[in-house]
Amino acid sequence: MESTAYRNDASPNGAALAAFLGAGIGAFAMGFVIILNELGVFTPPTLYAPSGGVTGRTALAAALWLIAWAVLHHRWKGRHVAPGRVAVWMTVLIALGLVLSFPPVWALIS
Amino acid sequence: MDLLLFSERSIWTMVHGIALGGGALMGLFAALYSLHAMGADGVPDAEMGRQARKLAQLTVIIAGLLWLTVMVGTYISFPPYRAAPPEGLLDLSQYPRALIRSNPDTGWLHSFAMEIKEHVPWIAAMLATAVAFVAVRYQAQLLRDRVLRRMATTLLAICFLLVSFVSLLGVFINKVAPLE
Repeated sequence: MESTAYRNDASPNGAALAAFLGAGIGAFAMGFVIILNELGVFTPPTLYAPSGGVTGRTALAAALWLIAWAVLHHRWKGRHVAPGRVAVWMTVLIALGLVLSFPPVWALIS
Repeated sequence: MDLLLFSERSIWTMVHGIALGGGALMGLFAALYSLHAMGADGVPDAEMGRQARKLAQLTVIIAGLLWLTVMVGTYISFPPYRAAPPEGLLDLSQYPRALIRSNPDTGWLHSFAMEIKEHVPWIAAMLATAVAFVAVRYQAQLLRDRVLRRMATTLLAICFLLVSFVSLLGVFINKVAPLE
């Protein structure tokens, strides 16, 4: 995504787009972690036994979201970033995350 | 005479679904309307700044309510929902997951509805947090910049749809197997 970032006279929007794209990555991370768990590839450790495995899956996805957001924020803050591709990626990642969080899809994949 | 109108479990269910989730849903509607109505052309800078501050406060409240909703749902309401009944117990009314799965006609409420409720609200909380961060950091620029405003509106609209959907699923589950 570095190619979309550049400095110019426009108001810096990088921190905003980093937050938006980070949210898309977080949504995708949630779906991806669920699918890995459903396929038996990777099961995150349970954080709170009475609630079961959902605590590990959601905590891992939230951690990936925060890391992705922090990295993007560090790279883009103070810059003006072309919003077009970021908006497309944000939308695609959210859509993928939601599709992968949809139980009938788990059955299709696994 | 002691009359227990609501059990602790049912109170937490109401806090989760009505106070926190319902509050977030109302806030999302208000924020979407505000993004539509605020910052019209010709609004003086001072007024634009005041509107932006109000919008930022609202989005922070929404994000906070959504995080509280998922935390209460995951760590307080979910354990009694998924508790396993003792072997041979016939009355499953205190064990919602077992009760739902005991009937083929209601099994989907766990395999579909509750599975969605376990994960999708976390996505909504992430999206709302991103909008709240931008609203606080950018203030009036969020209202003036059409692209940022459109992206924020998109995220809040997705949030609104997701929260509405999982709320409806919660109503279905609570109708069949309430936490009492």
